[in-house]
Amino acid sequence: MAETGQEETIEFKWGKRKGIGGKKKDVQFYKSFTYDGVEYDLYDSVYLYNEGEPEPYIGKLIKIWENADKSKKVKVLWFFRPCEILNFLGTNETCDNELFLAAGAGTGLANVNPLEAICGKCNVICISKDSRNRPPSDEEVETAEFVFSRFFDVGHRRILDKIDYDEIAGTEVKFLFNKLDSEKPAEVVKLGLDKKEINALESNEVVAPPSGQEKKEHVVEKADDHFADVLASENADLELSLSKQNSFLGAKPTLGVGVEEVLESNDGLQNLLGGKTEQQAKVKRSGVSKPSFIKEKPSRGQLDASTTRLELRETTKSHEGNISSDQTKMSKVDSKGGKHHVGADHVGQLKVERDVKSTKKNGVAESKLSKEAKLGDSSDISNDKDNNNGKKRRIICDNNEDDDDKNMKTLAPCIISSKDKCGMDVKSTMNKDGMMESKLSKKAKLGNSHKISTEKDNNNEKSPRLICDNNEDDKTLAPRVNFKRGKDSCDVEQGPSKKLKHDKKPILADGKFSKESPTASPSAERKLDCGVTEVTRRHDVDRSKWFRIPWEERMKNAHDQGRLVLFQNLSPSMTSKEVEDIVWHGFKESCTAKMMQATAFSSPHSGQAFVIFKTKAGAEMVIRKLDQGCLLLSNGRPLVAIIGHPCFPEKRPIFHGHLSIEQFRSQMQREMKDAVSTSHCSQSNNIEYDMAMEWCLLQERADLAWKRLYQRHGEELRKLKAKLKSK
Amino acid sequence: METSGEEEHAAFEERVRRTVYFENLSPVVTEPVLKSALEQFLTVKNVIFIPNYIGPSNCGQCALVELESPKRVREIVSMAKQHPFMISGMPRPVRARQAEPEMFEERPAKPGSKITCRWLEPGDPDFEVAKELKQLTRKHAAEAAFLAKLQQQEEEKLAKQQTDTLQGHYKKYKMIESIMADGTARRLARRYNFRVSDD
Repeated sequence: MAETGQEETIEFKWGKRKGIGGKKKDVQFYKSFTYDGVEYDLYDSVYLYNEGEPEPYIGKLIKIWENADKSKKVKVLWFFRPCEILNFLGTNETCDNELFLAAGAGTGLANVNPLEAICGKCNVICISKDSRNRPPSDEEVETAEFVFSRFFDVGHRRILDKIDYDEIAGTEVKFLFNKLDSEKPAEVVKLGLDKKEINALESNEVVAPPSGQEKKEHVVEKADDHFADVLASENADLELSLSKQNSFLGAKPTLGVGVEEVLESNDGLQNLLGGKTEQQAKVKRSGVSKPSFIKEKPSRGQLDASTTRLELRETTKSHEGNISSDQTKMSKVDSKGGKHHVGADHVGQLKVERDVKSTKKNGVAESKLSKEAKLGDSSDISNDKDNNNGKKRRIICDNNEDDDDKNMKTLAPCIISSKDKCGMDVKSTMNKDGMMESKLSKKAKLGNSHKISTEKDNNNEKSPRLICDNNEDDKTLAPRVNFKRGKDSCDVEQGPSKKLKHDKKPILADGKFSKESPTASPSAERKLDCGVTEVTRRHDVDRSKWFRIPWEERMKNAHDQGRLVLFQNLSPSMTSKEVEDIVWHGFKESCTAKMMQATAFSSPHSGQAFVIFKTKAGAEMVIRKLDQGCLLLSNGRPLVAIIGHPCFPEKRPIFHGHLSIEQFRSQMQREMKDAVSTSHCSQSNNIEYDMAMEWCLLQERADLAWKRLYQRHGEELRKLKAKLKSK
Repeated sequence: METSGEEEHAAFEERVRRTVYFENLSPVVTEPVLKSALEQFLTVKNVIFIPNYIGPSNCGQCALVELESPKRVREIVSMAKQHPFMISGMPRPVRARQAEPEMFEERPAKPGSKITCRWLEPGDPDFEVAKELKQLTRKHAAEAAFLAKLQQQEEEKLAKQQTDTLQGHYKKYKMIESIMADGTARRLARRYNFRVSDD
């Protein structure tokens, strides 16, 4: 690396550890790291800088480690650009942004590189139909920088349409496909809606007591930590539930429940765990809509979101069992808890099937629907069962309230959280068979209890309960939200805490946000044609600064390939990022822009920027569109684009005005080299001073000329802009 | 979020205020040259050259020099005004001005500034106006380019003229030196009865 010196200053932080290896056990493996402000995870696709090449290489991180000598290394499985394997493509057609993943065995498959060679994250989406691959959403494919579906066997030097073996370069193939937690903007929308839905259900907003809020934050964060830790492990699902339970239970004392109960619930946990495995097995066996899929990708995609949600509910359920035991009899606890668990298993199974089905069928939008439907169901049920045995529950609750406010607080949430459960359960019995009918009664009871709390409007219930109710809703929401969000791990970690910090109306706030964010709302974008759109930040696109490839070089390449466009009439105060955003909004093209730095003689009316597009076609399209149509920016500026012809500094630029006597030149140069400083202020007693004065005169004249010119420009523009009807 | 943006912007503005902009720098001027030239007077914190991708390539370099305080900037600007300040060459002096935010490559977005954009339909009453505006923008750009070219020509002319003057002076002195050296002056003085020896 040429720029090691500079590298030292770049921010770096290791992320999660993985294991120790090497002969002397002195090699530390990692799962993630943060470099230059970007978080990288294992199996991320990255750009790798290589000297002398205009285009960076692209590869997937399959190993990250630090040697004993503190050198940071990554093992990279390469992607090939079509142009790199041109000779082996044969008759295969390739897309512009298609890549081929290296496979087989031989040179060129993977390499160990210094970590510092990474110069940015690359958004590569797998569009393979392989069953091990999570099908990408349209949105993802659209925003992806590259896609891949085929492989290049480096040993046999041929293109493979699919991969039959399970390993490439010692890495399981499933990790090389789309991550379940890859960015899903569409998901965010869904999230917003979903939340609003829930919000609507929750008919009146009650402010949760801050202390409760805090506690919850604690719980959620904790759970999440565990979650993140467990994430990559094979049987994450199982462990996830375990860690969840643990953290949940661990946090319980803070909520004011006795230690005994914790023990109790630990027992329950064991049960639950057993149940969980059973359930997994069941799901697997049932074979309805690829359960292996779920197991295979134990991260935070939407499928998994359902399972995690399910687990969450199970957790709360077990709590419920325990707490009620607290009030009633210890002996009952076990049996009750056990039953609950069984029930939960079934519910879980159904739920998983359902979710998988829906996602399989119609992807994102559908799953949202189903969720809404579910919510609807649950509320229905609660209505039905209003009068039945709800009373009993209520009594219990009331008792509890009397006893201890804190206890109540924990109890109520559990009960309420069961609302979803029972809703589901009843639904499941409706949908499916009578197999679990026996459990139904119990569930129904729960449903009632939940109903009670949701019906807070009608009943003259006590305020503490309302509070709890609200709390609970928050609680279930928060994790759900963040699982569904399914973003990068960092995001998930942020998710809950951020939400909770919002304190009062996290739901609304987030919903709004997702609406505002440009890509999240396609409808808003369509509006571009007619209405004014505010240019907000683009969500995606590598924000990494891999400007380490000098801009000049990139611009030169782009110019040679016709991908360079010069934008004019920008507001001079705009930043390069804002220009990129405008391009994204106006044309749906991602690009790299650079505002030209103003000089004393640049126009104060029109800023210029060079923009590098991904393709020549994209650049031409933008120029054509801007020529025929008018993209009006704020302040009444229609954007102007022309093909960029940058001037590059010449090897030996001529500079007028520095004179020297030919004969003395060689001598002077030597003197210049020897001199400490080659600058001076001219004195008025020599010819040099007179000449300098001539230059000053010329400069003043030029200044005046520029000033006049720009003044006139300004007036002309003002006159014309006055004609604009809209501002 | 908001506050950090404002803070960032305030910090940036502060940086702008204590930065001086130099132009008409010879292409041979490099960062150390400029630094050492200025450190005769004051402490230089940072030097950035502004790359020139748009204008003619031989119009001299521009650079931003970050100083310690806005006061120093004023000092250096007035100094460069009073005395032609030359760096790496004569007689064309460099010029110093107060820097402006637009001159910086990396600048934070103005907090609170919102950018909107919309496509105008051909039927829109503003469509024609916008077209005219685009035309005007192009015209202005062309005019500016022309003025830049003109300025360049002027500079070239002046440089040529000065070269001629300089060459003339040089020739003159050279001749005087040679006639003094080879005895022609003394011979002629004797002939015309002049005293040439220094008194």
